[in-house]
Amino acid sequence: VTDLVVLGAMFGTSVAAGVAGAVLGLGGGILLVPVLTLFFGVSLPYAMGASVLSVIATSCGAAAGHLASGLANIRLGLFLATATVTGALVGAELVGVVPTRALQVLFGLALGYSAFATLQQLHVEIPSAPAATAFGRRFGLEGVYHDWTLGHDVRYRAARIGGGLAVMFGAGMLSGLLGIGSGAFKVLAMDTVMRLPMKVSTATSNFMIGLTAAASAGVYFGRGDIHPVLATPVALGVLLGSYVGTGLVGRLRNTTVRKLFLPIVVYLAGSMLLRGLGVL
Amino acid sequence: VTHGAERLVSRVLLAGGGLAVALMLAGLIGIEWSAAHRASPRNAPRVTESQAAGRAADVFVSLPQLGRALRRRPPPPAAVTAAGILVLLATPAVALVAGLAAFAVAGDRWYTAISAVLAAALLCGFFFNAGG
Repeated sequence: VTDLVVLGAMFGTSVAAGVAGAVLGLGGGILLVPVLTLFFGVSLPYAMGASVLSVIATSCGAAAGHLASGLANIRLGLFLATATVTGALVGAELVGVVPTRALQVLFGLALGYSAFATLQQLHVEIPSAPAATAFGRRFGLEGVYHDWTLGHDVRYRAARIGGGLAVMFGAGMLSGLLGIGSGAFKVLAMDTVMRLPMKVSTATSNFMIGLTAAASAGVYFGRGDIHPVLATPVALGVLLGSYVGTGLVGRLRNTTVRKLFLPIVVYLAGSMLLRGLGVL
Repeated sequence: VTHGAERLVSRVLLAGGGLAVALMLAGLIGIEWSAAHRASPRNAPRVTESQAAGRAADVFVSLPQLGRALRRRPPPPAAVTAAGILVLLATPAVALVAGLAAFAVAGDRWYTAISAVLAAALLCGFFFNAGG
């Protein structure tokens, strides 16, 4: 009975993480790791392994739905993934070379600024699209989706592509250096820097986080950090939750998703700054 | 072009996730069933609170080790679960390969190349770490 209760509770937590991940473009690790370690007494390596698995499960469930509905832009995701994967590879090489704490302070400040920028455009439903460029058209960095809450098709186009790529590279580098997911950075790069609709940003991030997590998944598997007893309820719950979450996104306004996302950015900025300053 | 790739990738992600969860669930049911019939049933909290305890029997860390376990008849439930975990971990890379094929068929050379580079990076990274 103990086993079933614990596994059931893990499953329930994972469903919630999956719903949140699908709506906000995150992997769910931000919710899962603290809950698994603090409430279930799971060791940190196993919790991290479960987190990587949950990122991929979120991506499978959410990205499948978002791609089918047209919210996620596969070309945009692949284009930006070249920067995150390169950043992750560079970051992994720089472990022990670059002062991690200084980077955490730097990214904490960047996230703090992003939170401020997000706050400023909190009520912007659809950002104004920039002028079309041959480069953006060639690489498919534009698109259209049907917004059920607005009742019409929304056309969008990526702005400041170079800036977006730079932030994506930084997000990947941080993933490689610190072993953390970077879904929040991806969403911020697309929403704040590239001025894409919030729902397109979170949906495309859902597709991208699976690729980034898969790049490091072999490390966790090879280290034995993915425990089968823990992995099953987490994967099942997250997959189910993320699939439900994709249906929810369609019924939310871009401003609502941004309001839900803001506290996550504030939390991440605070925790990263405190870690960098040695307080946490 | 984009719709074809998006539909295909979406289906691969969903099928991979579904297959992975089915295998993991079947394995977990087997693990729990055999644990219940042991003289000293193991419990999930104790197993997952310490890596040393958890790794003793249930955790596979390389593809050859898992392959040997899966060839046994019947395969150990933990190996079936680990196979499900592997399917899940490999699903984004497989989806990327499917996207690559769709872009190649559509004649989109840029995205065929981008998908190929990303898929190669993912697959090399995985086999380098888990290939044994």
